[in-house]
Amino acid sequence: MNLNILIAGVGGQGNLFASSILANYFIKSGYHVGAVETIGAAQRGGSVVSHLRVSDSDIYSPLIPAGKVDLLMGFETLEMLRHFRMLGADGVYLLNDFKEPTVLCNMELDAYPSDEVIAAALGESGKKGYTIKATACARQIGDSLLTNVVMLGALCRLSALLNGEGVKQVLGSRSPPKARELNLKAFDAGGSLVLEAVRQ
Amino acid sequence: MNKEYLMGNEAMGRGAVEAGVKVVTGYPGTPSSEIPDYVSSCEDIRVEWCINEKVALEIALGASLCRTRSMAVMKHNGTNVALDFLMHLNYTGVRGGLVLISADDPGANSSQNEEDSRIITHVDAHLPVFDPWCPQEAKDMVKMAFELSEKTELCFVVRPVMRVCHAHNQVTLEEIAAGNATPYFEDDRSRFIMSAVREPQAGGVLRPVLRHKWLNGKRVELSQIMEDSPFNHVEGGEGNIGLIACGIGYAYVREAEEILDKKFPVLKLGTLPLPKDKVLNFAGRMDKLVIYEDSEAVVEGLIKQLLHDERIEVEVIGRSGFLPMEGELSTEAVLASLAALCPDLEKSLPKSVPLDIDIPIRTRTQCVGCPYRGLLHALKLTARKSHGIVTGDIGCYDAGSFLPLELQSTIYCMGSSIPIANGIAYSGSGQPVFSIIGDSTFFHNGVLGLISAVHNAVDMVVVICDNRTTAMTGFQPHPGSDTSISGRPVVAIDIASLASSIGATSVQVVNPYHIPEVTESLDKAAAEKGVSVIVVSSPCYLLGRRTGDIGFTPRQVSIDADLCNGCKVCIDYFGCPAIRFSNDKASIDQATCVGCGMCVDVCKRGAIA
Repeated sequence: MNLNILIAGVGGQGNLFASSILANYFIKSGYHVGAVETIGAAQRGGSVVSHLRVSDSDIYSPLIPAGKVDLLMGFETLEMLRHFRMLGADGVYLLNDFKEPTVLCNMELDAYPSDEVIAAALGESGKKGYTIKATACARQIGDSLLTNVVMLGALCRLSALLNGEGVKQVLGSRSPPKARELNLKAFDAGGSLVLEAVRQ
Repeated sequence: MNKEYLMGNEAMGRGAVEAGVKVVTGYPGTPSSEIPDYVSSCEDIRVEWCINEKVALEIALGASLCRTRSMAVMKHNGTNVALDFLMHLNYTGVRGGLVLISADDPGANSSQNEEDSRIITHVDAHLPVFDPWCPQEAKDMVKMAFELSEKTELCFVVRPVMRVCHAHNQVTLEEIAAGNATPYFEDDRSRFIMSAVREPQAGGVLRPVLRHKWLNGKRVELSQIMEDSPFNHVEGGEGNIGLIACGIGYAYVREAEEILDKKFPVLKLGTLPLPKDKVLNFAGRMDKLVIYEDSEAVVEGLIKQLLHDERIEVEVIGRSGFLPMEGELSTEAVLASLAALCPDLEKSLPKSVPLDIDIPIRTRTQCVGCPYRGLLHALKLTARKSHGIVTGDIGCYDAGSFLPLELQSTIYCMGSSIPIANGIAYSGSGQPVFSIIGDSTFFHNGVLGLISAVHNAVDMVVVICDNRTTAMTGFQPHPGSDTSISGRPVVAIDIASLASSIGATSVQVVNPYHIPEVTESLDKAAAEKGVSVIVVSSPCYLLGRRTGDIGFTPRQVSIDADLCNGCKVCIDYFGCPAIRFSNDKASIDQATCVGCGMCVDVCKRGAIA
């Protein structure tokens, strides 16, 4: 078994926490796990990408080679589009419909791609994927910082290798006590969101 | 055996702990910063962030002289700072095991250059270097480096690259050694006094020449050690193209072989000096050798030299032109190179199809709520008004040099902002000159430039950004902090008092959240003769949010659309990510805004309140 998950977002979205929950879930399930993050400056607002590799045999490169990603999870729209080329032939994407404009977009030197352009490009790619409003859902639950957990809950519905209950258990045990209840709620909400998207 | 999921940096820290290290020093720098952090959680080990890397290595050597195992940790730029000391430490050798971790950043993901520190540590300083391919090997190498350092009396260097430092894997934990017996210092002036003095016992040869001879003599001993090293091995495969996979190159070569479902003959290398016989035996069976290494053609050059000396004719290609000469090695680069050598592999390459869409780049900027944004804004307006030149330095505030502000005109290495400004002041251009430098960077290497400028009565303004932490690399303490890495109370050096005692013309301490105050201080300083220092003081917002110490009282801020005339000063000369612009009006994204209120002073029409 080999599974490659790439999480793309911007700093401050809890990218590393999401990656560590999945890593610990797979370790508990007895797999070899390798991960690497692009963490340079500790600041918020820059691109952050986590590579997570799971296998029942040895893992070599910590980075997933282009064209070998099985699950691409985008916490921010532009960042997912940027890493779309990483998806493999049968790869699936999960996109949070949330846009963090860039400095140059704010200055009107660049244009953030419109919803129509994005939908057309994703459609043309022929790749399977789902778009959910995870940040909106997280805010409804109480805090936009729960976006990562909503996305985790959603991702677990998209792969047979991710057992929702198992991941939830790891999430519960690794959440700080005061965040635990909201995290579990956000996780369930993500699951429901993606099921709606799948039905549509 | 007990396994734990560790980051490469944690694994290296663990390796040192298992080896019985007692003193760990360093200066923070991506990708190495988490190594001392990890060790600081262990008992009975003295761990310190030092003022700079040279001091860190010097402290480590002092401990080693007393037979205490010690380790100095830095990134490649820092090893440059420590180089002067390293070029003497190689001659004297060590007593207690001394390991230098010099972490490289091929691809310059988080650095100002993509230097390969194997060159200064091995090719220049002739020290042995381990180059790990994964966190487990990095841990094993650190551990063995201590043992071999004591055995050979040489400082051992471990050179991990970013993808090893930041990789996470399940790593095997072993027992922690007790450490050396009682530390004691024993004089040996023939070694530890590095001076151009004649040695009577050696027929009057100058001591440096004698010690150089000692160092060169170590090559034979090291050569045998590397021949037997577990970090070098040969793997069989088809054909006569041999792949030499060095450090992280091994990870990418094995990955590429799995993707292609083809096994090449591979010589996996993790040590410098090279295992001569292993290399010659492998090379002798091949028509062509491809060397995969990050990031310069170091092993490639050494192998070419070895084959030349042994009169063996084999084609050797690698990063001197066949593989890309710049940037990070990758599985993709290995795959492309193999397909270039064996065209029938082309069909097995993974397909990677980008979306047919223009994707804007995302540049770094100050965080929302960062105190430095107010300073950068004020300095931009002051410099524009006075046709001043602003020299910059290393740290978060370097983002002021990107769009929209494009404030700093130069950024080189730690501390260079002040001497470069000094030179500009000397040039005769007549323009006012400002340098901007962070607190940790100021201590690291900036203070010397300040002393020099004050001493020479240069007309310039030095702005020191004091946010109480080394924010860029993850909030490490510095000499201005009152608590050490391990939570020990320490003496905080006050930057303003230091600047005063050096003799700056004036020293003003201002709050960057009050933009008019900053502007006033800049105008005053620019009008003065000599060196005027402004200490911009307010805690890092990201850190302060965690510790409850932030520099402002949060409040609701919004933009009155009727008053906004769309001039974009708040976007183009301030650029807070919480301020958005559409339909010719600025607005504040309330979900992003943290209510610092700095932008209120930025809008001259009073539209922001």
